[in-house]
Amino acid sequence: MTDLLMRPAQTRTDEPLVRIRDLKVRYSDDQPLVLDGVDLDLFRGETVALLGSSGSGKSTLMKALTGFAPIESGSVAAGDFDVANLQRGQLRRLRSQTGQVFQQFNLVGRLSVLTNVLTGSLYGAGAANMLGTFRSSDRVRALELLERVGIVHKAGEPARSLSGGQQQRVAIARALMQNPRVILADEPVASLDPRMSRTVLELLRQIACEDNIPVLVSLHVVPLALAHSDRIVGLRYGEIVVSGRTSELDADQLAPVYDLDDEEEE
Amino acid sequence: MSIAEKTKAKQELDPRARESMERAFRIPRARFVVGVVVGVAIFLWSANGAQFDFLKLGEGAANMGEFVLRMFPPDFSKIGLILALLLETLQMAVVGTVIGTVLSLIVAFGAASNIAPRWLYYLCRWTMNIIRALPDLVIALMFVSAVGLGPFAGILAMTIGSIGSIGKVFAEAMEAVDRGPIVAMESVGSSKRQVIQYGILPQALPLLTSYTLLLFEGNVRGATILGLVGAGGIGLELTTAMNRYDYGHLFAMVICIIVLVTIIDQASAIIRKKIT
Repeated sequence: MTDLLMRPAQTRTDEPLVRIRDLKVRYSDDQPLVLDGVDLDLFRGETVALLGSSGSGKSTLMKALTGFAPIESGSVAAGDFDVANLQRGQLRRLRSQTGQVFQQFNLVGRLSVLTNVLTGSLYGAGAANMLGTFRSSDRVRALELLERVGIVHKAGEPARSLSGGQQQRVAIARALMQNPRVILADEPVASLDPRMSRTVLELLRQIACEDNIPVLVSLHVVPLALAHSDRIVGLRYGEIVVSGRTSELDADQLAPVYDLDDEEEE
Repeated sequence: MSIAEKTKAKQELDPRARESMERAFRIPRARFVVGVVVGVAIFLWSANGAQFDFLKLGEGAANMGEFVLRMFPPDFSKIGLILALLLETLQMAVVGTVIGTVLSLIVAFGAASNIAPRWLYYLCRWTMNIIRALPDLVIALMFVSAVGLGPFAGILAMTIGSIGSIGKVFAEAMEAVDRGPIVAMESVGSSKRQVIQYGILPQALPLLTSYTLLLFEGNVRGATILGLVGAGGIGLELTTAMNRYDYGHLFAMVICIIVLVTIIDQASAIIRKKIT
């Protein structure tokens, strides 16, 4: 384990698109640190799986990347943004460039699939969409993205009529609509069956490769992480306990992430 | 204490709490018993103060039956007048509901805690509380004194009354929407207006529509009462018929009102079904 902790996650020559250094996050003074000294780099074209039990800090790490979590100390650099020191307008711009995919899809069930995807282009849409309309060019692009995720035939249907896997693909299309520089997927397959989980994770990995952007995806299932990522980072109680290339890791090496050591001690 | 230790300490259950939870039958908490006793005492005190008496109702049932019998048969000889007044009542309700809904929606944005800043939230909530505390007839009298007798005063009274009643439920409908889509909107860098337009309103729309239809139904019934103070509608004719003991005419008007309210209720049900 020590070897895994000390070993650099990846030896690369290119610059990381996201660089996190000694990140500490605490929600209130009387609460313990949720993230304690996290270091992480995200590179173009790679899919990084974030493993950890509930409460380990996975979601908080994602929130810290988009300015939704209070950074106590350390730095989060995403492209040109120093996330800890952004004003409201800059935060909106950062978020507009960060695609996010959620466990519960977070679609507006009554709106059509197409409109849900189009909401990904709201930043910078100005007052033109006050009447509920979107530019024709945006509509063309949204339909192309729905084609890409294989669900264009459902474009006119209300989002709530779709299955979980289909809704998650709509959510991915919405994230792509932002022309994201990075995609953060917070437990995107936790509500899906195993087959659909594999489909969604493969789609995310394909996007990372084709669009040459980093995809950070938090997961609970070790075999899925091993099968659908280039790198794995394991969080436990707010600290990174495992980090390495997926090809160099196996399930036993990832055991510390899920307290298996503690159970053995007991 | 490390994060791991703190987390573990939080995960442990107090032994006494555990023992209490394991028992099949538990003695009710003192505050629950006190709450029930206080609730019953307040009800009995109120019933006594309001002279609530089932015996009296039983004794007077014969008089009520006699009153109902006097209304038979309904007299439809002035059906033209009844329909004209009903139409006016309906028109008042339509205009009052449309303007009332628009104003209520505006105030509701300020009164929804997930949309408005704290200062605006309290300002709007207090405004609605004050309006709700004013009886509709008092509001109607205020407008009758301002713009004179007629349906215009009634419409104004309905509009203001709507803000107090429907504005509150509009705000609560917006507060009750699923937070997920709102998070998604904020995550793409949307402005506050865009979050409301694409995240909150589409989710709240079925409830907003339902409450608007309820407001319309209420305004139709309300318009019959506002007429009592000269604020237009069929209310004045109802009062006149009662004062003249013209029960046949009164009953004909009541039947027409029932038919109108039933039609509106059915139409509302169809619209609600289409939207939800």
